[in-house]
Amino acid sequence: MAMAKVTEFLTIDPTTIVLTLCNTLILFLILKHFLFDKINKIIEARRNDIEESYKRADDAERRADQLAAEYTERLGKAREESAELVRNAARKAQARSDEIIAEAKLEAKGIIDSAGLEIEREKKIAVNQIKDEIAQIAVSAASAVVEKEISAEDNERLIESFIDSVGEV
Amino acid sequence: MDSIGQGPRVVFTIPLFGGLDITETIVIGWLIIAAVLLLCLWLTRDLKKIPEKKRQIIAEAFVNFVNGSVKETMGSRFMKFAPYIATILVYAVLGALVSLLGLRSMTADFNVTLTWALMTFALITYYKIKTNGFGGYLKGFAQPFAVMLPLNLISEVATPLSMAFRMFGNVSGGMVITTLLYGALGALSSALHISFSIGSVVISLGQLFTPAVLSIYFDLFSGCIQAYIFATLTMVYISGAADEE
Repeated sequence: MAMAKVTEFLTIDPTTIVLTLCNTLILFLILKHFLFDKINKIIEARRNDIEESYKRADDAERRADQLAAEYTERLGKAREESAELVRNAARKAQARSDEIIAEAKLEAKGIIDSAGLEIEREKKIAVNQIKDEIAQIAVSAASAVVEKEISAEDNERLIESFIDSVGEV
Repeated sequence: MDSIGQGPRVVFTIPLFGGLDITETIVIGWLIIAAVLLLCLWLTRDLKKIPEKKRQIIAEAFVNFVNGSVKETMGSRFMKFAPYIATILVYAVLGALVSLLGLRSMTADFNVTLTWALMTFALITYYKIKTNGFGGYLKGFAQPFAVMLPLNLISEVATPLSMAFRMFGNVSGGMVITTLLYGALGALSSALHISFSIGSVVISLGQLFTPAVLSIYFDLFSGCIQAYIFATLTMVYISGAADEE
């Protein structure tokens, strides 16, 4: 190297140009293959991942919103239904109680009516009994007073007139 | 110490076609390729969707930076250009930064910047023809008037040449200035008798520290900026060529 050949400061040397071209292409391929392709691939993969996870998050949020809306709606419906049920039950109970009361009233009226009839009948029976007893008393009284036999028809007639004179009870 | 204004050394010669001279530029290019290959393999080892390692974050930050620049400057239909732009960036930045290791900057070789500029030029021409058709491409040189033909031709050729010379000029100029400064500081040191020699190694105190500031500008800053400018111009020109009516 002591007597190394030295080129001119500014010269055009085809060998250097061709070899530099080759070197540049080799360096280009190295950078492309070993750096850019790899890094771009990993960045792309990361971007896809992030995009996907964002999408998943969005989907989940949308689904949650949807579910919440659905549940709110269902809850409202259930509340309405239960209110309706209560209302129906109350109405039914009211109707039933009205019915029961009406029935009871009817029954009571029937009882009162039949009781009235009974009373009437009892009264008649009592009046008849009293009539008979009075007749007996009257006959005994009359026999005692008159001390004579009278015919049964006369007796009957006398009693009737007596009772009539006594008046209706 | 290199003599000022010297081109890259020939490292070895392949005895083909009457001897192909392999210069420092090419060997450094191979070193950079090897380093980048190892770096890429290391950075992209077991990548996870949820990053765990710092190196994955660094790799992703770099890829995102280039992807973002390409998307912003060229639009998303040119995303396939991202690795190409990254190649230019990485190659140019590392090619300039090797000077920090005492090697000759790769981009201080006009052949390198010219090669890249020609690649960009080829892409520009390809997209112009693809967009307007071959007839449209030829007609484009006579726009807006036929008189403009020579000017259009010059501007077409000027595009890659200016790109190549801009980068080459900046980096090699920086290299020349740094070399000159070293020489001047060495001379100053021996004039002030603050230069010692231990055996055959000469240590000049004046050469310590002072060049570091300028080296940061010329090697680090200028190298990175030129790489960025070259990459940005490539993006702008190519997307411009594809957008032309």
